[in-house]
Amino acid sequence: MKPIILQGHERAITQIKYNREGDLLFSSSKDNKPNVWFSLNGERLGTFNGHQGAVWCIDVDWTSTRFMSGAGDNSCKIWDCETGKELCTISSASSVRTCLFSYSANMAVYTTDKAMKQPCEMFIIDTRIVDDSSSGQQPIFRIPISGPRISSILWDSLDEGIITGHENGELIAWDLKSGKQINRVKDHDGLVNDMQWNKNRTMFVTASKDHTAKLFDAKDLLLLKTYKTERPVNSASISPIMDHVVVGGGQDAMDVTTTSARVGKFDSRFFHMVFEEEFGRVKGHFGPINSVAFHPDGKSYSSGGEDGFVRVHTFDSSYFEYNFDY
Amino acid sequence: MPAAEEVKSSWADEVELEGGSLPPSTEVLENGQKIITEYKYNEDDKKIKIVRTYKIEKRIVSKSIALRKTWKKFGEASGDKPGPNPATTIVTEDVYMQYITSKEEDNKQEDDGIDKLKALGDKNAVKCRTCNGDHWTTKCPWKDTMLVGGKMPDEKKLSAVTGAGEAGKQGGSKYVPPSMRDGAAKRTDGSNMAKRDDSYCAIRIANLSESTTESDLEELVKQFGPLQKLYLAKDKMTGMCKGFAYIHFKFRNDAAQAIARLNGHGYDHLILSVDWSRPMPNSNP
Repeated sequence: MKPIILQGHERAITQIKYNREGDLLFSSSKDNKPNVWFSLNGERLGTFNGHQGAVWCIDVDWTSTRFMSGAGDNSCKIWDCETGKELCTISSASSVRTCLFSYSANMAVYTTDKAMKQPCEMFIIDTRIVDDSSSGQQPIFRIPISGPRISSILWDSLDEGIITGHENGELIAWDLKSGKQINRVKDHDGLVNDMQWNKNRTMFVTASKDHTAKLFDAKDLLLLKTYKTERPVNSASISPIMDHVVVGGGQDAMDVTTTSARVGKFDSRFFHMVFEEEFGRVKGHFGPINSVAFHPDGKSYSSGGEDGFVRVHTFDSSYFEYNFDY
Repeated sequence: MPAAEEVKSSWADEVELEGGSLPPSTEVLENGQKIITEYKYNEDDKKIKIVRTYKIEKRIVSKSIALRKTWKKFGEASGDKPGPNPATTIVTEDVYMQYITSKEEDNKQEDDGIDKLKALGDKNAVKCRTCNGDHWTTKCPWKDTMLVGGKMPDEKKLSAVTGAGEAGKQGGSKYVPPSMRDGAAKRTDGSNMAKRDDSYCAIRIANLSESTTESDLEELVKQFGPLQKLYLAKDKMTGMCKGFAYIHFKFRNDAAQAIARLNGHGYDHLILSVDWSRPMPNSNP
């Protein structure tokens, strides 16, 4: 396969995300301008200019009309997808680590870091109408997190719940009617970097610093499968058409200068979802991979790395013909 | 990709022109391809020409996607022309997915099988067809030398001598068909064998001239023996030979002979380099 390299960022990629149909690919990095690309040919549609700090998290709603980003400049912004204009800015007390639209995009959630004597907090906001007045609007819920900070987040059961991944490896399920915790498991030993749904949202895969990616049942946070690697895992994604999980990671960013690309294990690794066995690798990045995402049609996937590049890979026929020996 | 193009004016005229401005960049649309030609000065102040060829594809997509395709570019990309901007979008060279087979495990299982058979005390259960040794034929250390038609190693003679004595003993021990043996269920006569066989009699011919055709090649190699498969690498766009070819012979000694004869052989103003074909890089992890 011939990957397309998207070179729109000046610093490490923090997150990449496809929209629902997969024709657009959003990317954010530690520079302050999230980008949006046409995933088919790698053409850049635009950049969202306005943040002052590293952009940690991005999300797009299901109609691809609104785009949300959370950044280290203590703000969360909602943008118009078509024009790249800022619709509103929601300021917070510390940097915004995660943000996400709900399935219907009627609500959104963002969480802030425990920093500058501010606690880690989770905010749920109403995004049915987004305009200048949204900035001062009261959140629907404001939940302070007393324990370890939230490092990743997912909306659960359409819009009724939230699953958060924490710095210490815990996963917590929240009920949004009451704003209370309803389930809590600790299957990871390190920070949960990323969580992604499978296609029908019955299972999700977590990526953790403890060198593993794990598959959980969404209903009761039951640990189903574990995918082991030798390096911290930064992101994992489930193929929508095959029983495959792609896992991206590598040496910690701070140790990269002391390791060569060959031993750094900066490849995307493909695991069989059921047998937990690695069956393929794709090389290319020369830094750890920070985010991976499958195209919603399952025929291509992208990875964004600490090296600042996003690589869009379209699978060869050999990938679809490959049969797992068992 | 830079491409050769006919020169319209003489080089002297071009030198004259160089003092002036660069020729304007052109865009040509022809049979499904867009060719963009640009002129630039490189670091050494030399004029360079960049020719980019794009393939134009039409796809049928849903309305919402088609609508999004018409969106105007914004932000940093607002100045970009339609189509990917080469400053931000680069197509790189091919990368391959490296498939990790469970080869190591397979080998281990086979060894287990041998050990088990040996443990049964059935000494001749595993016997090499080539040298009568105590191993599978495929693992025979003399495998290559025998097939190339070289001399048989001394050990073979030895074992042949002792073979007569052993033959008597062998009659005593009960024959176990391979399918009934202990390790049979585990062993698959699977992909391992097929893969090996395929590249077993294959040679690679490099440094072929551009104009070589498959029939030329066949003429060149069929003198050595029957062929199984012949592959000549050709450029997708031009159909010209890319300079190398793979030939699968039916027999390995034909292949060996072909290597011996053709390596360094002058063919169509070039000197061929011929060697065994190495397995594909993605087939060994």
